[in-house]
Amino acid sequence: MELRIIFEIAREELTINIRNKWTLIYAGVFSLLVVGISYFGMMAEGFAGMQNFTRTSASILNLVLYIVPLVALVMGTLSFTGDKGSTELLFSQPVSRAEVLLGKLIGVFLSMTLSTLVGFILAGIIIVTGSGTDGIDRYAAFVGLSLLLSLVFLSLSVVTATVSRRKSKAFGLVLFLWFFFVLFYDLLAIGGTLLLQGKSANTFLFVSLLGNPVDMVRVASLISLDNVTIFGASGAALVRFLGGSLSSILLLLTALALWIAGSLLLSHRLIQRQDI
Amino acid sequence: MNSIIQVERFTKRYGSFTAVDNISFEVKQGEVFAFLGPNGSGKTTTMKAIVGLNIPTSGRILINGINIVDRPKEAKRFVSYLPQRVVFPENLTAREVIRFYGSMRKLSKEAVEQVLVNARFNGFSDKLVSEFSGGMVQRLGLAVVSMPDAPILLLDEPTANLDPQGVKRFREFILEQKQKGKTIVFSTHLLPEVEQLADRVGIFVGGKLVAQQPVEHLRRSFLETGTIEDLYLSYVESYQHEER
Repeated sequence: MELRIIFEIAREELTINIRNKWTLIYAGVFSLLVVGISYFGMMAEGFAGMQNFTRTSASILNLVLYIVPLVALVMGTLSFTGDKGSTELLFSQPVSRAEVLLGKLIGVFLSMTLSTLVGFILAGIIIVTGSGTDGIDRYAAFVGLSLLLSLVFLSLSVVTATVSRRKSKAFGLVLFLWFFFVLFYDLLAIGGTLLLQGKSANTFLFVSLLGNPVDMVRVASLISLDNVTIFGASGAALVRFLGGSLSSILLLLTALALWIAGSLLLSHRLIQRQDI
Repeated sequence: MNSIIQVERFTKRYGSFTAVDNISFEVKQGEVFAFLGPNGSGKTTTMKAIVGLNIPTSGRILINGINIVDRPKEAKRFVSYLPQRVVFPENLTAREVIRFYGSMRKLSKEAVEQVLVNARFNGFSDKLVSEFSGGMVQRLGLAVVSMPDAPILLLDEPTANLDPQGVKRFREFILEQKQKGKTIVFSTHLLPEVEQLADRVGIFVGGKLVAQQPVEHLRRSFLETGTIEDLYLSYVESYQHEER
């Protein structure tokens, strides 16, 4: 693989995406939500004004877990199921299929990173002015985890685009994936524990965590925010099961990286045998 | 002259449907070779296999002696392909499109600028593709395909959906590229294009290559009894008769 080719494809993809009105709309809406939640998040408790970094991260966690996978899947699908004519023209160039996949993925990821960072940085600036820098490192870790979540779901969109090849079918598949990981998976996992008892139910629940990138990012974020106690005794059991806070985060990061690598390897295998 | 494209016993199947059935032909360096045939006769499938977009079910395709399946990246360096309905990202300018495809072929900045000059975009180089007319998009497509490093041009039905001015421009383009010594393969179902532009023609019917001859030879052999059109139709009819 030639890095220069991957870089050129990524640059083109980034240019196309940052000029796309949907990317700009996402950046605007996400910024508004993040800034809004960080400001109004404490209203329920009778406070108005900016929260600090740790509280803001905890408040916007669910927003990130809902929106980021959805936007990543949609942006990835739009990019990887492009018009037939332009796809054929690109793949007919002296480039390998792996270079095209990787270049496009990096380009879309960078555009998503930029539009997501706009919201986080805007909120960050306002928090620093209102509440100081306390907890900024945890906020940074949370931002990193959000971007990693977007990369996981972009990689999954590459798989669905490669499998389905048609835009309409790919959109159907990614919507199913979003519902599955964001809404249904937890119900399935909890349902599974009903069939098991005692320690094996706990083990099943902990292991099932690795089957859902959304849950992994949720748990890793809460651990990094020092907030795993929100789970109560089960949170403590989870951290103990995973081998402590640091090793838990490392394990979860490794599992997320494996999700990305697995998706890309599968897409590469599929596309090598496909007609374009 | 050496053969720059060699297609040997190429077959392409989609499930139980055979799109191209065991065809073989060669294209010589500097030659203009036309694929002539009705819709669904296997022209596009063959063309896409030559540029590595379709994977042959059996047979092999060599570009300048390199197997397109085994060493696709190397083989594709010799080929510049224009799909039937070329589309460019609407939010890029013509200059950005040319620069991008130039970078895919590792062309120098000067060479890319020269492509823009040759395409005669004048004031349009920095306009977004979304502002282009159909004719301008076609001109951009021809500019992309005429990158100086690729000695083979593969053009899939390049005049489909073009107005008479676009067709005229395409003919001028082919003659210009031929003068530069490029090998050109194009597909069409329009006989006048074949008569005017091609040195040789391969006639596709029902996924089979039923004839391949120099255009001059076709013309001569049929002048006494009819037109080249009659010859083409006789090939189609005889194939359909065999099929029945």
